Amino acid sequence: MAGLLLLAAALAPAALAGNGGFAPVSPESPNAERIRDTWVFVSIFIVAIFVLVEVLLVTFIWRYRRQRRERFEDGPQIHGSTNIELMWTVAPVVILFLIGGFVFYKLPGIADVPSASASGEERLEVRVTGRQFYWQYEYPNGAVAIDTLRAPAGVPVRLEVSAPDEDVIHSWWIPALGGKIDVIPGVTTETWFETERPGIYDGQCAELCGLEHAKMLASVEVLPAAEFNAWLSGQESKPASVELGEEEWQGACAKCHGLAGEGGIAPRIAGSPVLTDPQALEEIVRNGRGEMPAVGSGWSEEQMDALIAYLRENPPSGS
Amino acid sequence: MAVRAEPRTPGWQRGRVASWLVTTDHKRIGILYITTALAFFVLAGIMAMLIRLQLAQEDVGLLGPDRYNELVTIHGTAMIFLVVVPILAGLGNFLLPLMIGARDVAFPRLNALSYWLFAFGGLVLMLSFFADGGAAKSGWTAYAPLSTQDPGNGQDLWILSVHILTAASVAGAINFIVTIHNLRARGMSWTRMPLFVWSIYVFAWLLMATLPSLSAGLTMLLLDRGISIGGWEAQTNFFDASEGGSAVLYQHAFWFFGHPEVYVMALPAFGIISEVIPVFARKPIFGYKAVAFSTVAIGFFSLLVWAHHMFTVGLPNSLNGFFMVTSMVIAVPTGVKIFNWLATLWRGNLIFETPMLFALGFLSVFTIGGLSGIYLAAFPIDWQVHDTYFVVAHFHYVILGGSVFAIFAALYYWWPKMFGKVLDERLGKWHFWFLFIGFNITFFPQHMLGLEGMPRRVYTYSNGEWEGYNLASTIGSWVMAIGLLFFAWNVERTWRKGKRVGNDPWQADTLEWYATSPPPAHNFDDVPYVTSARPLYDLRRRLREKDGYRDSL
Repeated sequence: MAGLLLLAAALAPAALAGNGGFAPVSPESPNAERIRDTWVFVSIFIVAIFVLVEVLLVTFIWRYRRQRRERFEDGPQIHGSTNIELMWTVAPVVILFLIGGFVFYKLPGIADVPSASASGEERLEVRVTGRQFYWQYEYPNGAVAIDTLRAPAGVPVRLEVSAPDEDVIHSWWIPALGGKIDVIPGVTTETWFETERPGIYDGQCAELCGLEHAKMLASVEVLPAAEFNAWLSGQESKPASVELGEEEWQGACAKCHGLAGEGGIAPRIAGSPVLTDPQALEEIVRNGRGEMPAVGSGWSEEQMDALIAYLRENPPSGS
Repeated sequence: MAVRAEPRTPGWQRGRVASWLVTTDHKRIGILYITTALAFFVLAGIMAMLIRLQLAQEDVGLLGPDRYNELVTIHGTAMIFLVVVPILAGLGNFLLPLMIGARDVAFPRLNALSYWLFAFGGLVLMLSFFADGGAAKSGWTAYAPLSTQDPGNGQDLWILSVHILTAASVAGAINFIVTIHNLRARGMSWTRMPLFVWSIYVFAWLLMATLPSLSAGLTMLLLDRGISIGGWEAQTNFFDASEGGSAVLYQHAFWFFGHPEVYVMALPAFGIISEVIPVFARKPIFGYKAVAFSTVAIGFFSLLVWAHHMFTVGLPNSLNGFFMVTSMVIAVPTGVKIFNWLATLWRGNLIFETPMLFALGFLSVFTIGGLSGIYLAAFPIDWQVHDTYFVVAHFHYVILGGSVFAIFAALYYWWPKMFGKVLDERLGKWHFWFLFIGFNITFFPQHMLGLEGMPRRVYTYSNGEWEGYNLASTIGSWVMAIGLLFFAWNVERTWRKGKRVGNDPWQADTLEWYATSPPPAHNFDDVPYVTSARPLYDLRRRLREKDGYRDSL
């Protein structure tokens, strides 16, 4: 029995290393990695207790089945044992003490935002705003992006997370880059990540935020630092970019009205005169109408111009 | 004992239907609770099946986001408020007076009021689908400001319904507490009370302690949505950040109720298991006092853990740490129960009739739900898995694998007491195995989905890697549904031609088996003096010692 337990405890981390859904997704950021370490540590005890209970259960079911005894024959009248009660009260306390201790040991490396990378790279600050039903990112130089957050490799990125006062609660989560943090109107919270490997890391809003909650996807595109810096400074020089306009269309408009404006959970808008009338467009985007939320309240003039410019060049086809 | 002359029942109240409508008999009210709740179970189950069909693959397109969110909201609300809690309350109603040797509960009319409020509240919730704008869409948690911004009437009806159900629960809880304090049989001290009665006692106190917080939160929610009475309009901003309110405040009010509510559903289930396992192992419960005390301890600590539902809102980590520790503390008395149940099996004479199958099934799957809770209590891990399918798997292992399995154990076990006939064993076994296997196929893969990043409450997903587990989960839901059909068939068949049994078909230990099956309106002609937690065992032993009772078996 004890051998079986030890075996299970030894196998647990090995099984978890292979993932297959038995551990959080492969971490790509130190905070995610430490969360996963905590998961693996806790798993040792969880798997051991699980095996202990289920093995005892199955063993007893087999060993003490009625067989040829009489239907109502009494078993031995054992009423309990104080020592045994104490044993299975104290042992879990010790285990939980170990788990709690490990959590606090790992916590600073998960929660505290590093001010610079190991090689001395200054951290990047990005403001993340969650809104029905898209993510908006603002960089220190004023550049804006929607849904896809571009970030440099090898640099700690601190995210300052909030939602507009009149919006609802969302939750920021990119599984490979750390745990989630709720995005609450009127509250500003923070999280961070730092990843060495360029690539695209997907996540999505994790708090029910309304009809298109399922479409509120987020992704982080990690670029080599030089490439990222080139992109970021490029954003500064072209304020009313069609590129941003396209992100806005896809992030803020198309999730309800369809990519080609063909309609979805919201009415068809392809061919609507509002799309080509900058004033009418700004009015409805900034203030919403009926069930449509004010998706563009708080947008800068440049952001509004970007959407207008995009729609002028790419009027939605309707199919 | 003084015999009081009963006023004659007016003729119109004696009809087959009318007698049920006006009844104040705790047994009939208990059966009304259970049958009404089973009807809601069918509806909530159909909702779950639709949800699973929608998620079987990417973009199934069966349900739009509005309909999906309505179903998720009403499925959750109904399973908690209209199915699990009322069935447990119904079992409590039927059994409590019988188990403590009383004629009825302390306030029979209040008891009837509880039931009718419950039935009415449930009706309001189900009919809210036909409201302007459909049913509520903000989840069973109804987080502000999503719930305050929904323009439809469904959310208002949801608040109304839960308010009514809350009133029903408070009245019921008062009744249980007063009954237990005052109407126990001679000799039944607190340490001779059946463990199910202990669990109902703590269940009732938890409802009393936490429902006011829910009522306050819901009233604030209603006021934030705005009310209008005869032209006079008012609207508050408790949870509206743009007017200085706090959305987090609602979460505190809700979860101060919401977490103990989990134990409201779990403790009576534990009580059922503590009654069934000894009878089918032919042994006394191992560590009666430890099991009873752990019930009280779980109840107490459950009042101190609510913010573990809020680890991701960005509370200070000192607070998160506090709630991690209290949450883990609950694992200790829960573990004590599991080990005591295992020790009760040890060296027993195990009989695998359907109530025992469900009790053992409960033990094996509830353990999984309990253990996955430890991951969730370690708050950095919760930051990863919070609001994902991992949590969905966790609480279905606790509530479906825990409470509902225990409820079926209870129904098979006490059916002969309720109706004088025993449910069919063969159909019962089919019911159990389909439900047990289907349950694990449905919910085990959801752990993996959550770890891979699938959030809960999404009506569709675009990650193809999630399709395999989702499809398995949907198939499992059909296996479960077949299991439940076996139960329906069993009830129907037993009704028609079930086997009649005597007062005590299981040779059980507690007082309810001393009454006839089904018991008369006044329950007992006489109640034996209670000499231990197992009065009927004592009685059998005395008879055996006296005149060879054993041979008459």
